[in-house]
Amino acid sequence: MLSRFQYFKPHNLNEAVQYLDKEANSFVLAGGTDLMILLRRNVINAEHIVDIKALPETGVFEYTEGTGLKIGAAVVVNRVVDSEVVNSRYRALHQAAASLASFQLRNRATVVGNICNASPGADLPPALLVYDAVVNIAGPQGTRQVPLHQFFTGVKRTVLQHGELVVSVELPESGEGDKSIYLRQARLRGHDLATVGVAARVKPDGKVAIGIAAVAPTPLRLFALEDQINARGLSQETIEWAAEEVKEHIHPITDVRSSAAYRLQMASVLLKRCLLALIAKED
Amino acid sequence: MDNNKDCSMYTEHVDSGKRKVTLSLTVNGHQVVRDVDPSMSLLHFLRDNIKLFGTKEACGEGECGACTIIMNGKAVTSCIVLAVEAEGAQITTVEGLAKDGKLSILQEEFISEDALQCGYCTPGFLMSARALLDSNPNPSDEEIVEVLSGNLCRCTGYIPILNAVKRTIEREQKELGR
Amino acid sequence: MAKAEYKSKYKRVGQRYDRKDAREKVTGQAVYTYDLELPGMLYARCLLSPYARAKIVSIDTSKAKALPGVRAILTGEDSDILVGLYMQDKRVLSRGVTRYQGDVVAAVAAEDEETAERAISLIDVVYEPLEPVHDVDEALEGKILVHEDINELKHYVGVFFPQKDSNIASWNKSKKGDLEKAFAESDLVVENDFSLPAVAHVPMETHVSIVQADPFSNKIKIWSSAQSPFAIRQIMADSFGVSESDVEVHIPYVGGGFGGKAGIHLEPLATLLSKAAGGLPVKVRATREQEFNQLPTRAGMRGRIKTAANKDGKITAMQAVYDWDSGAYADYGVNVGKTAVYSGIGPYSIENACIDSKTIYTNKVFSTAYRGFGHLETHWSIERQIDILSQKLGIDPYEFRMMNLLEPGDKTMSGEVITESSGNPKECLTAVVKEIGWTGRKTEEERQREWKTGKVRGKGFAMLQKAPAMPANTATSVVMQMNGDGHVKMMIGAVDMGQGAITALSQIAAQELDMPIEDIEISAQIDTRSNPYDWNTVASKLTFLGGNAVVKASHELLHKMKVIAGQVLRTDPENLLHANGEIYHPHNPNRRLSYKDIALGYMYPDGSGIGGPLIASGSVVADGLTNLHPETGQGNPAAVWTFGAHAVEIEVDVETGSVTVLKVASAFDVGQVINEKLIYGQICGGVLQGLGSALLEGYKFNKDEKLMNPSFTDNKIPTMKDMPVEIVPIYIENPQHNGPLGARGVGEHPMISVPSAIGNAVYDALGINFHVLPLSPEAIVLGIQSGKKSILCTDVDCLPGRL
Ligand code: FES
Ligand code: FES
Repeated sequence: MLSRFQYFKPHNLNEAVQYLDKEANSFVLAGGTDLMILLRRNVINAEHIVDIKALPETGVFEYTEGTGLKIGAAVVVNRVVDSEVVNSRYRALHQAAASLASFQLRNRATVVGNICNASPGADLPPALLVYDAVVNIAGPQGTRQVPLHQFFTGVKRTVLQHGELVVSVELPESGEGDKSIYLRQARLRGHDLATVGVAARVKPDGKVAIGIAAVAPTPLRLFALEDQINARGLSQETIEWAAEEVKEHIHPITDVRSSAAYRLQMASVLLKRCLLALIAKED
Repeated sequence: MDNNKDCSMYTEHVDSGKRKVTLSLTVNGHQVVRDVDPSMSLLHFLRDNIKLFGTKEACGEGECGACTIIMNGKAVTSCIVLAVEAEGAQITTVEGLAKDGKLSILQEEFISEDALQCGYCTPGFLMSARALLDSNPNPSDEEIVEVLSGNLCRCTGYIPILNAVKRTIEREQKELGR
Repeated sequence: MAKAEYKSKYKRVGQRYDRKDAREKVTGQAVYTYDLELPGMLYARCLLSPYARAKIVSIDTSKAKALPGVRAILTGEDSDILVGLYMQDKRVLSRGVTRYQGDVVAAVAAEDEETAERAISLIDVVYEPLEPVHDVDEALEGKILVHEDINELKHYVGVFFPQKDSNIASWNKSKKGDLEKAFAESDLVVENDFSLPAVAHVPMETHVSIVQADPFSNKIKIWSSAQSPFAIRQIMADSFGVSESDVEVHIPYVGGGFGGKAGIHLEPLATLLSKAAGGLPVKVRATREQEFNQLPTRAGMRGRIKTAANKDGKITAMQAVYDWDSGAYADYGVNVGKTAVYSGIGPYSIENACIDSKTIYTNKVFSTAYRGFGHLETHWSIERQIDILSQKLGIDPYEFRMMNLLEPGDKTMSGEVITESSGNPKECLTAVVKEIGWTGRKTEEERQREWKTGKVRGKGFAMLQKAPAMPANTATSVVMQMNGDGHVKMMIGAVDMGQGAITALSQIAAQELDMPIEDIEISAQIDTRSNPYDWNTVASKLTFLGGNAVVKASHELLHKMKVIAGQVLRTDPENLLHANGEIYHPHNPNRRLSYKDIALGYMYPDGSGIGGPLIASGSVVADGLTNLHPETGQGNPAAVWTFGAHAVEIEVDVETGSVTVLKVASAFDVGQVINEKLIYGQICGGVLQGLGSALLEGYKFNKDEKLMNPSFTDNKIPTMKDMPVEIVPIYIENPQHNGPLGARGVGEHPMISVPSAIGNAVYDALGINFHVLPLSPEAIVLGIQSGKKSILCTDVDCLPGRL
């Protein structure tokens, strides 16, 4: 690691934002599972590291009836995996969290970090996307909220501006009759980045939401496909159709992990399996 | 012709002027206070600074589990934790497993089930397994595999390791009443 | 499970003793080279070539030199030392040109790793990228030479055959019978291509070497994570022009080797840096990236197999052409290629056969030995080909193999006659086929029916054979010394990198001396100044050769003890026997002496002594081996064959391509089990490594031959979640008469033919013959989608190892 940085661990949000604003080449540290690798590979040049784990706002992990779920930026993935509320009300998020990296990594990696890293193939965004997650951002200009589907702007790029940090992510209430699932394909059973990851949700009103990763420069919410499915009505036939149609809505590339052809095929298979599982649960 | 310095690496890195931070933590029950460079990893702190060489490095990127230690009750890969993040932490390394001159049951079972060959991955596996059994004394096979699959071993094929952990569970229940 | 059931006929050999080094390894006390710190030690970092092939136009190290803490900087201009095991083809530092994207262009030694890394980042190199040699076909065309100076390269003459003005580092051949005639007269001739990519060894401890090289004398002290202390000593002496005795090599605990740490790797660079830094010790440690992209790998390979058979199932002829993509340097690669000419038709009795094996230079990561030493690769070709032949003949693949497997009286490829003492391949096959409940191949209807459920099961099996690939005069030795407490201190020159050698050899000693294994003192750590000579810790030869040396030394020790005891007990030594640590007279059992009483010589009541400290040794050299004839490949290269077979049952998800391995049954004719626990460990570990090669692993290069997966992020190895549901080990014990208690080596064998068995099972499941590895989910799905019944590397664009 060539970076020689100063370490700062603020105890309130203002301090954190001011520091980030003031110092060039400053980076936010939460779990560090992505940041440490960038540092080790000398991809980034950090002069300041701001550890946000002591901020009161980042430790929040609570579900409020009527409002939904709030996950602070310091909440590690295994806390989400172990949460009863998440398991019962946000099933896809539970499954995505449980499939992310390895157990030890999940003891450090944070949910918000998985968003902020903005990897096209990240596991959590598809699940968060189907729950219409909203990202709470704090910065020198105050706070703002951005829907997750507008948060990503490209490979490893987000809407975050200089001096800004994500404080938490919020998921609206998910109640009775709300069902979801996350499925992924990887090169092996052990920890691996997803070749393709698909989350699907059927809301109590029968409407479908679909999130997908590793098939485009950013994780995607497939709004257009959802509309078409909803217009047809979710059924065995619609699912067969959607499994083909989804290929028109994504733009996978060939890289070291997979060919575009395989990604297309997996998007199709996983979407089919997700939706079939969801209608099977209806019975 | 071009002037290529390899691998996207080596963009200009400015030294912010090493400023040491005082760090105090507990390692294997001993209080440790040291001044550290903030960019030092916890793994290198344990090895280079307090000379506990039992914890190994095999990738430095959180992928292999060789550097697994227990920090505040959780198994973490110490190569991607900054030493300064461990301020005030309780840390256990492989050197802290045997107590009062006696090997722990887990260590004994690793020996008798032949759960190691070259032994390089062993400290990491021991710590992952210890953290698991501390939080859940009676995990299912599936839970054991989920937790231990973050540790890579190229020698054993894992089956003897799984057997050793299962035997430990039985014995700890019987002998320690867990 | 068979593992609990094994019963040995011996008191100590065959028993499930704990490994001797286990206690130190579970307490974190075992010291590996990576853990060593020496006074004044410096740390090195390397600058690697970013191009597969490039001209080095200029190097500017001035900024790096100015960095405080930097103690030495080297580039190719500073040294012209050439190294190489069989071909001296590798410069320690590139000069003028680089030959792969891991060639060392410059190296720095500094007071700490961070400073060394920073210094590297400050070195400016101007390259002129050159068109690389991409693959074996391009290399064989020979338009671009990887080594312009191939005609002058110093090499092991008569064993390896570099071809003039070409990229062929060695072309080895064998032939017997009349191939043309057999092809012309047979009922069926089938020809196929098979290929597989380069695969990394992935020892968990990366390569590390520390060297202290005295600039004022010839002395070179080496501490290294290496498999071959004595080979390092010899090659270092050769390359640096010093005497072997000037070089001392220390091997602390080694964190895995698998062949990748055989031979010589980082030691010469550390030596040059140490000299340049005024003789301070320098540690060179490969990062995981360097382990993948700088240090050698298993070669990629293409096998072209042409086989003829008669309708009744007798194989009449086989022609094999093996092209090894050895990358930029020959290292062990040429020897892997050579091995293929005597083992490359598998364990079959075939009258007419011919093998051409070419180890070929390209501009990729270079190749070396890897567990199995080419046999996983050749058996991938042969055992798939045999399966395809049986399909075409409409004969059950088990029956077909049984009709053609070697049996006593048959000749191997090199003309060696198989005897009862050679072990029994048929017994191995029959055992595993029975274990998985083979009843014949699936019919197309059965496949179709299962296909509808989305999951299809398949069974498959494959044979394997391997003998140690070693020079005809390979030797090893053991020294035994008795301590005052009656314990035996045993020293060997081979390295225990986890395979359990010190435990197995102790068991043989304990058996022969009839004393507790706890009383055999042996260290895994080697020091060439005190440990006796061993050729190389490779090739699964240690149980056999080392075991024989232990038996010899034990017998000498017993003899010496009996001579002294004979004086004390006033009898002819011939009359004495030994048991449980004592020498006794069988007729008057109270006439006895414990080993302890004569360990340092016997002392009479009046204080006078006889005998003195007990020391014995055992030296063995491989028995009856010869070099192969350069044209026909006839000769006797194999000290000991170990035959075996795997059978597997798998389940394929036909939509995602994921393969679940339900069961692996593995049988080996080991002659005699030395330690069942250790063998079981070798089988579990070897099978899983084999599954890695079968389903997952492989180097991927881009079109510029830059390695795209040089980290665990993308160069995956199986995890605990990827274990097969069940592994059943089966030990066949047909003793080898000249083996230690009849035993043969089995260290590498569990890995060989695992991919072949899986490939055959995939055919059983899907009715598709894959000719390429790995059988990744992606390859399976794209293979199915292609609609073809034979999948070659051109049919699935992800393979092999190509982006
Ligand atoms: S060294 Fe830390 S996970 Fe590999
Ligand atoms: S015992 Fe060697 S890596 Fe696990």
